[in-house]
Amino acid sequence: MAATELAAAPSIALPPLTEEDLARSQDRSRVHHARTQRKRWYLLWLLVGPGILAMLGENDGPSMIAYASDGAQYGLGFFVPFIPLLFAMAFICQEMCMRVGAVTHRGYGELVLQRYGRVWGWFGAADLTLTNLVTLVAEFVSIRVGLAYFHLGSAVAVLLGLALVVFTLSGGRYWRWERIVLGLALFNGLFLLAAILVKPDVGGIVGALDFTPFPGGSFNTLLLLLASTIGATVTPWMIFFQQSASADKGMTPSDVKHGRYDTAVGAVLAAIFGIGALIAGAALLTHNGSGIQGFAGAGFPEALKHVAGGAAGAVFALGLIEAGAVAILTISASTAYAAGECVGVSHSFNSSPGNAAVFYAANAGVALLAAVVILIPGAPLLSIALNANVLATVLLPVSLVFMVMLANDAGLMGRWVNRRSTNVIGITVIAFVGLCGAAYGIDSFLLSIHLIGS
Amino acid sequence: MNVPAPTVENTAPGAAVAGAARAPHERFDDELVMDLERDQFVAETSRPVARAPLGARATLALWALRVFVVLVSLMVIYTFFYQLH
Repeated sequence: MAATELAAAPSIALPPLTEEDLARSQDRSRVHHARTQRKRWYLLWLLVGPGILAMLGENDGPSMIAYASDGAQYGLGFFVPFIPLLFAMAFICQEMCMRVGAVTHRGYGELVLQRYGRVWGWFGAADLTLTNLVTLVAEFVSIRVGLAYFHLGSAVAVLLGLALVVFTLSGGRYWRWERIVLGLALFNGLFLLAAILVKPDVGGIVGALDFTPFPGGSFNTLLLLLASTIGATVTPWMIFFQQSASADKGMTPSDVKHGRYDTAVGAVLAAIFGIGALIAGAALLTHNGSGIQGFAGAGFPEALKHVAGGAAGAVFALGLIEAGAVAILTISASTAYAAGECVGVSHSFNSSPGNAAVFYAANAGVALLAAVVILIPGAPLLSIALNANVLATVLLPVSLVFMVMLANDAGLMGRWVNRRSTNVIGITVIAFVGLCGAAYGIDSFLLSIHLIGS
Repeated sequence: MNVPAPTVENTAPGAAVAGAARAPHERFDDELVMDLERDQFVAETSRPVARAPLGARATLALWALRVFVVLVSLMVIYTFFYQLH
């Protein structure tokens, strides 16, 4: 019920107010004002955020390197249509998160914990913490790869990442945090610029839309490719993040339509920029992928410089720095939301550090922990970075199952429950993700214990 | 930070609606909170939602999925350490 309707019902006391309520009410007032004044574009501007951030945040360092590696090793065929297909899958999942957050005003972690029991809530939080920590290490590594192109080292990568976390946390407002990260995230478009700079064959891109040629190589390589590409598109942190951020932003059922626009725009942009990285990587295909060292040294940007010129290399390197930086902010935020929700304490950017100590400590702490790992001499950073997406894919099905359960919970969602078609697509996505992740995990394990040959 | 709770009865009738027509920066805090839905207040969201009953088959299926995911994760982690050597 809109609070303005309370005016018609005298003697209804409002609950005690907190600073979080006051900050959120200011944001909601602007939304209400834009809606009553029929300022459509301003309303859209106010309501976009969580969807674009989830999607562009997932276009992170390991993901962009995964796409570029796909292009360098296999060319454009199969991946040009596969990446948009994966982001269409991501849209289905993320739209549910946004809708549940807007209708219930609660995050994913707290709803699972309260609705289905502490065991499931803590399992989800443990999955998230593990995958987030591994992924954050990979984000710092990708910043380091980008900076290495400009002859800067790991210490600068750590300082840059941590400084950004501290800076964005310092405002005490969700709106401020969201707009800063949103501004940074738009620089994910650097990958599209890199694609243009390598002067691709447009006919070849259009011709690749028929899913051919299918990537060759061993069965295990194909599974790794599928698992890591899926992990580059849909991950557990996105589910936690978008639902919690939608609630923190103060979205309501009346904003669901704009939330869908936000998520769809994010998915389209992420798919375009992901294909940009693929096309830039594919420039190395005709050079037999030579010079690529993935996450070692300056890796891709340096290889691209030799094939397509210094501008393409520099733009790709800047893109990697941006992708890593934005992902550090969004992934740390998802960890903080989950920590606050599971412990049952304040978990909002609209609260001050004094009132939401767990939230702020988890946000900065997880980033700090990942930063420390990349400074350990001899740490297997390359392997960690390569396995980050795979681990996320393997752990994703459980999070997705609970997401579908929440979105179908009539007691919580009322008339906003999933449609039958959404359920069919959602269950298909879960089965596909689960199958690819499990097949890779089992096949790799059997290979490593020599029960099957490669 | 807790601030005194404004009530609708100490606001002139229709003030919230009239206030909504003004730009946000021209309005007082107690008018601004009228733009929050009642179940958006921290006091409301702090109240836990009721536990949903899970049937025996649903619980069994969730545990099966959980055990399966943990096993596959352990395989991935084993492969990770195997590849390091």
